[in-house]
Amino acid sequence: MKKTLSILISGLLLVLFCVSLSAGQESETEETYTVWFGGHYTDFTDYQKKVGEYMLGNEEFLPELMVDYLARGKGYILTLNGHYYDHKNFRGTLTSRVGDRFKGTFGYNSLYHREGQDMLTYMETREAGGGKILTHEVLDPGADYRVHRQEFQSEMKALLSRKNNITLMAAHRMVLQKGAEQSIGNTHCFSCHVTSQTATVDKVTHQVEASLQGDIGKNTIGYDFGYRLFESVAQPVYAWFDEARHPVNGLSGAEFDSRLIYADTALPINAYPKTEKFQHKLKTKGSLGNGEYAASAGYSRAENKGTELVSTAWSGHVNYSHPLNQKSRLIARIKGVKLDSDDLFIDLPTYREGRGPTASQRDFDFTRYSTLNRSEFDGSLELITRVNPRLTASFLLGYENISRKDYPVHDDGINTNRFSGQLKLRYRKGLTYSTSVKYRYEKTSDPFTSGRGLFEARGDTVLNPIPDGFNFVFYWQREDLRYQAITTEPTQEHIFEWNSQWRPTSKMNVSLGLKGSYDKNGDLDSLDVNHLNVQPYAALNLTPNPNWSFMAGGSFIHYKSRGPVAVALFDG
Amino acid sequence: MKKHPRLPGFGLGVTMLVLTGIIWMYSPMAWAGTIPEGAVMVGDETCLDCHGDIGENYEKTTHGALSVLSSTQRVILCESCHGPGSAHVDAADPELILNPAKGDQFEQSPTCLSCHKDGQFDNWTFSHHNSGDVNCSSCHKVHAEHREWTQEYVLDLCYGCHAEVRAQTFLPSHHPVSEGRMNCLSCHDPHGGQTAFAMEDTGRETCFSCHPDKEGPFVYEHAPASEDCMVCHTPHGSVADNLLLANEPTLCLNCHAMHFHATIEGWDGDFAVPLDPSRNGTSTPEGWKIGMLTKCTQCHTAIHGTDAPSQAISTSGNALTR
Repeated sequence: MKKTLSILISGLLLVLFCVSLSAGQESETEETYTVWFGGHYTDFTDYQKKVGEYMLGNEEFLPELMVDYLARGKGYILTLNGHYYDHKNFRGTLTSRVGDRFKGTFGYNSLYHREGQDMLTYMETREAGGGKILTHEVLDPGADYRVHRQEFQSEMKALLSRKNNITLMAAHRMVLQKGAEQSIGNTHCFSCHVTSQTATVDKVTHQVEASLQGDIGKNTIGYDFGYRLFESVAQPVYAWFDEARHPVNGLSGAEFDSRLIYADTALPINAYPKTEKFQHKLKTKGSLGNGEYAASAGYSRAENKGTELVSTAWSGHVNYSHPLNQKSRLIARIKGVKLDSDDLFIDLPTYREGRGPTASQRDFDFTRYSTLNRSEFDGSLELITRVNPRLTASFLLGYENISRKDYPVHDDGINTNRFSGQLKLRYRKGLTYSTSVKYRYEKTSDPFTSGRGLFEARGDTVLNPIPDGFNFVFYWQREDLRYQAITTEPTQEHIFEWNSQWRPTSKMNVSLGLKGSYDKNGDLDSLDVNHLNVQPYAALNLTPNPNWSFMAGGSFIHYKSRGPVAVALFDG
Repeated sequence: MKKHPRLPGFGLGVTMLVLTGIIWMYSPMAWAGTIPEGAVMVGDETCLDCHGDIGENYEKTTHGALSVLSSTQRVILCESCHGPGSAHVDAADPELILNPAKGDQFEQSPTCLSCHKDGQFDNWTFSHHNSGDVNCSSCHKVHAEHREWTQEYVLDLCYGCHAEVRAQTFLPSHHPVSEGRMNCLSCHDPHGGQTAFAMEDTGRETCFSCHPDKEGPFVYEHAPASEDCMVCHTPHGSVADNLLLANEPTLCLNCHAMHFHATIEGWDGDFAVPLDPSRNGTSTPEGWKIGMLTKCTQCHTAIHGTDAPSQAISTSGNALTR
């Protein structure tokens, strides 16, 4: 509550600052108010349990209010607009601009996000011959799960020196999420048992951005700083994990203990770690030869404060535009990122393999190498040429590489290469009419896959020999039996887009278009994958004045997916 | 006779193309014009002789209201953007003066960017909007009142070209855009710059700016969450829950082998757990299929990653159940 108050006070101070700046201008002020009263009503006739994630309908008339205020004088503009839908859903933004020297914005946004309750009813079964059992328990049936999300955002931009265009920007955003959510825990020793309970949601996110930039000759240099802190201050819920025992005869002992990392205890579930992230970025832009360039180099560091795990990212980009003549230019874009995350040694209890005094031990300790570890490169070359005053054409060739260091195998990750080609044509008759057509083709080798995600070989042929005294496969051995990669990521993709705009006046816009894509992956030894997406659309937009906007349109989406669904054979 | 499948919307597409051609043929031609060599400045008063309507409204425009130029400097205000106007005045020819609003990326962008050097325009020259000839005037109205500074309000403005996205925001699962709690600018920067409050220029970071609890780094990871949020999600709208590309379990089974418990034949009738009779229920022969093939995240709750190991050692604690 104190944080909320402090932010509100900061916002008010910003408002007063803006107003005082505005009042300092010796000029006539012209003010415009628009207050819109309305309402909304929901009819539940033929109610079919529609999803209402954000706005829950009530079968009653509820008033709505919109406010739009503008104060304008010589050298300043002050605007305030807001929308009240109900006491849970409303927003407002205040903006002040003073000449080209200062711009300040303060905004507030409130929404409720509702989530239904999963009653887990179908998690209830027993093996035909006895043995394996699945049961469920909902400790708070009928609970109302929803989260109130509030966002406070303030931003200030100031031109410190007009001579060198020295600009300072500072911004802060705070997001508060409070409410309740469903938290599910499961224990699976002597029976699989799934328990649902209510968890309190109380999350806070702070984000700060600051930027300073200025001109040096024909070039601009700048520095950006970013900071983000996320924390859940609610107490986590606990779930009970059963004692390790044989599911039928109830015997407990070393063999069953060794199957579990923890048992006969209550532990927190679904907890959110506190995370903190910093970013620093140097950037520059300006003229180089006859062309223009923009470049940046950045470093970021994210830390999980609970485990002290750290991930870092070095990133950079260079864009260069070179004029070939008055009507053509060549654009080169290069971007690279290198991500690294800490390795971590996972110490697990010793697994007892076999029964009786002769049982051997198996050690499952391992080093977790992060799937984040990778380097990415993205580059493209684009030629843009004006064929005539109405027609512009663009040809683009691109290359992207993602070199994963440790996924799915340590020091032998998937190396993805993607080549792309694109053609864009845009025809324009002034502001009245335009039409654009785009075709893009992408060819990818080794896209992201789920390594060893599919198919299991016969245990007695792969696990040779199966441990003495056993004629079955252990759960942990099933990982070794899978031999086929599986994915829905394509190796070839065709994308087509067409859009036409007709704007007979500045207050009317007619839009027609078609968006389509087809992709496939026939490189897998297992199953071919393809997706087809076709979406034609038409829209009419009328805006007779800033207070009225009328939009009508229609769209049809056809999406067809042919993908693998992995089927398992149970031989455990 | 075998019927060949037709692409859905084919007829509508042909109709649209015909309409486009008709509009194309009857639309007036306009372009940005050129300034002949030797043209000189004539001053605002001369311009306003013919374009008085624009002058009357100028103080109400964003440029007019925020102008910090002195009255003497304002003499050449019109020609700051439109260039020297003497040839245009002498010949009364609209093609002998610059009209940046009607120009393409070779004409208009340099005019506006000569003053708008702010950080948000750092990459405008290289942006997809600019290379696609979506210019400043495609979205902004320079001579209009401040409240009409953009062609339409943000959502309507973007939907003018991206109407297909508008349709997606009405699908059952969507971000609260149609409810007015977000808009396109919450995630996108139309000027080619970085999204507000996103730390890096990657898709994951854009998502983390509002969903930081999914970022980690975590002890136990889910590889696609490290890869790209779009492996499982689609941002504008979906018929599946939680903006997923497909509902569970289909989505999960696209990458993972089906849970082997799903193949167990179920008991037919009531049962109780021998070791804990308070846990009981009714089973069917298909009970395991139903229980294991309805929603994977009922048990694998920490699907974006977690620091807490799952209970069984057989998966090395990496089952993302806690």
